[in-house]
Amino acid sequence: MNIHTYEKVWIVASMVLIVGFIATITYGAVGPGIAMIDDDGGDINPDEINDDERFAEPGVEHVGGNEYEVTVVAQAWSYTPSEIEIPANSEVTFYVTSRDVTHSFSVVGTNVNTMVVPGQVSEMTAKFDEPDEYGILCNEYCGEYHHTMEGKLNVVPEDEFDLTELSVEADDEIDAGNETTITANVTNGMQEDLETTVSLEIGNQTQEEDVTVPGDGSEEVAFTVDSADLDEGDNDWTVTVDDYEESGTLSVVTPEGNESADGGDGDA
Amino acid sequence: MRNAYLDQFPDEARVIKAAFWSSFIALAIGGVLGLVQALHRTDVFRFIQSPDYYTVLTAHGVLLVIVFTIFFLVGTFTWAVTTSLDRGVVDTRFTWAWYIMMVIGAALAGITIFSGFLESAPSILGSELNADVLFTFYAPLEAHPFFYIGLVVFVVGSWLAGVDWFRTWLAWRRENPDERIPLPTFMVLTTTLFWYICTLGVSLSILVFLLPWSLGITESVNPLLTRTMFWYFGHAVVYFWLMPAYLMWYTMLPKFSGGKLFSDPLARVVFVLFLLLSTPLGIHHQYLDPGIAEGYKFIAMTNTMFLLLPSLLTAFTVVASMEHGARQRGGEGYLGWLKALPWRDPIFTGMALAGLMFAAAGFSGMINAGMNINYLVHNTWWVVGHFHLTVGTAVALTFMAASYWFIPQLTGKELWNRSVALGQVVLWFIGMTFMTNAMHRSGLFGLPRRTAEPQYQGFDFEPAVGTVGEINMQVALGAVILTLSLALFLLNMVMTSIGSNSESIPDNTYADTLSGAEDSPRILDNLKLWTAIAVVLVIIAYTLPLASIIDAGGLFGPDIEGFRLSTWVDPAVIESLSEVIR
Amino acid sequence: MRISKGALLVVVAFLVPFVVEFRTALSWFGIKLSILESLALGGVLVIGLLLWAVWPEDGNGGTGAAGSS
Repeated sequence: MNIHTYEKVWIVASMVLIVGFIATITYGAVGPGIAMIDDDGGDINPDEINDDERFAEPGVEHVGGNEYEVTVVAQAWSYTPSEIEIPANSEVTFYVTSRDVTHSFSVVGTNVNTMVVPGQVSEMTAKFDEPDEYGILCNEYCGEYHHTMEGKLNVVPEDEFDLTELSVEADDEIDAGNETTITANVTNGMQEDLETTVSLEIGNQTQEEDVTVPGDGSEEVAFTVDSADLDEGDNDWTVTVDDYEESGTLSVVTPEGNESADGGDGDA
Repeated sequence: MRNAYLDQFPDEARVIKAAFWSSFIALAIGGVLGLVQALHRTDVFRFIQSPDYYTVLTAHGVLLVIVFTIFFLVGTFTWAVTTSLDRGVVDTRFTWAWYIMMVIGAALAGITIFSGFLESAPSILGSELNADVLFTFYAPLEAHPFFYIGLVVFVVGSWLAGVDWFRTWLAWRRENPDERIPLPTFMVLTTTLFWYICTLGVSLSILVFLLPWSLGITESVNPLLTRTMFWYFGHAVVYFWLMPAYLMWYTMLPKFSGGKLFSDPLARVVFVLFLLLSTPLGIHHQYLDPGIAEGYKFIAMTNTMFLLLPSLLTAFTVVASMEHGARQRGGEGYLGWLKALPWRDPIFTGMALAGLMFAAAGFSGMINAGMNINYLVHNTWWVVGHFHLTVGTAVALTFMAASYWFIPQLTGKELWNRSVALGQVVLWFIGMTFMTNAMHRSGLFGLPRRTAEPQYQGFDFEPAVGTVGEINMQVALGAVILTLSLALFLLNMVMTSIGSNSESIPDNTYADTLSGAEDSPRILDNLKLWTAIAVVLVIIAYTLPLASIIDAGGLFGPDIEGFRLSTWVDPAVIESLSEVIR
Repeated sequence: MRISKGALLVVVAFLVPFVVEFRTALSWFGIKLSILESLALGGVLVIGLLLWAVWPEDGNGGTGAAGSS
């Protein structure tokens, strides 16, 4: 075969270029460790997402140290959860699946970008060093309101981040003269113990209690409230733990058929 | 004595002319829809509802990348086979049959897509007539059965066209048992072979999975499986529509430059490489898909990178042939020969500009092929910029330039206006420059593709350079220039066709070679050998990924029904729905 | 004319990607040209090019072999 000298030089140069490209990509995979989305996420039946261990309650979970897991369910045309909060200096593994058609989960301006195919779970890990706010969008056509499908990823400073949840159980009303209990349930989603203070403000008084909530556990704090310390009628209360608070109203009522407010020993 | 194609093969000329006009009609409709999209997306002028944007997008994609390109291809290939073998097709009735079959397929798919604009589309076969599924029709988005049937009929028509070319070649072979396959025919045959290999995937996907599922015969699909079968075809098809452009660059451009093709043997090597490598790399469109192991993606990446070789060889050969032509015309110096090229000729200039834009497209393609850097640009507007340089310029501009040569050959009428033609190809080049520069840049900051309104409630895009508004204006400007260019092209085609006969049509010939077929080993012409190797490569690249997808999700997937998202929904309902979800 | 009209048209067309990409490239170095400035730059280049093209070559009155297509 008759090949011109210049053409030979060109072929050799082309091969060097091609091998060079393959080498840089291989370096990117083994050196900086840019892994491809692959089959590690496994598969899932879209009809059984609600019963799935991982996807039944999508959201942020602490694995330990600076590692977190975020599960997201995509569907036309939203993400659940639509807003994700994670701390800076964290390594986050995302698990995303779709309830209906093919979507994407793409954190704008970053390498976090994956297709979300129904029946499959996309798994990818990324590091977030600095606090920032990112948009999340779907970049695969998923129906006529595809363009409205978006979410938010907030990376907050480490000291502002927790996975604390507060829920309060309280009666709506008590009879004058009786006592009631307002129970605060503090859940700690982090793996480390949480030392904090739970406080209750009701009427013009405040009760406080120091608690240690175990890692990945919860703790109940019960506050006893005596109607004698309250005004008749509505009393607003607020339970606070760290930045979380829950409020309600407790009504002090006079038992049925009793006109006077000073005692429960009427003629009933 | 005039010796145009029309004079040599009057019957074939009629079919080719019909194929070209089918392709121009698709180009006209698809092009105008492109302008509608550009103006809508960039928020310059919105006169359709955003949900209809996706109907426009589906039509734009299918009409331009399937109908326009493939109709032009079958015309060009029929011309190439008959011209280079110097004999007509075996039976023009067969040629008409496949052409009509392709028209029926295209019309069926087209009508189904366009009824997506109707407020209440007619219900046929138990479902509403529409196909808002885009060119990729990823399940579980579901189209009307007619859309799938139309595509299959169109593809089978193109298969029969291939049969026609092979038949003609075999007839010639019997008459000329010892001759080498002429280069244009060699290019047609190798291209047809990989078209058979790659379309097998999409045809099986439609016939076994999507069509029965849209008809309600099967209940469920495996979305990853049909998606992988689509991309098994989806990258080879880009080479399929590129090959007629390559054929023109190899066999005609040297002639228009005033010289000869630099090397016939290397042209054959290039086309053999396309036959071998076009299909076993489709997974590079699925770098970001879950359910496919990294190793398979790596194989697709290496195959993709090696497919750079034929394109780099083409760059060398084409530029070397142009230089040879320029020197024949009296060009001198290291770069001074460039001045001696026939820049007044719209055919030459169009093809040269198309080739240049293809070089730029090669660069962005290398980025896309790099599987880790692809994370940044995957499904962003960058990709749209990339393929508007490839199919939108390298292919479309070459086709338009070639039409300035073909239509006089096929009609015996002189081109209506060469200056308008020159202006047209230059305008296309300028329009694409504005549009694709902005698209590529916007992809770098994550602006998504395939989106009616890339404006989000919760965040803004942060361009490294300029503003989103400026990028939008640049795209809109580019789209307007492109539409103007398209209008000038169509005007020239119509005016040429209704013009009067001319005796001064150049002879129907193709470029001679400096280094001819006799310089290449005969094994290059052994199509059976190359086909066998191509099949083996496909088996290596695809058996394991397909097996693991079927193993995990089953052939028909875990109970995944179709989603016909194209029924009209009140935006207020959506708004309240998304409030509830939040 | 130093180059043919066709070649001149193509060179002018080439200025478009040149200016567009030049503007993109400059901005990476912190030099940001506004649209008006880019237009002005393009205009100056086009005028310069036209002047160069129509300026007669020294000692060579006629046009060269170029542009005879």
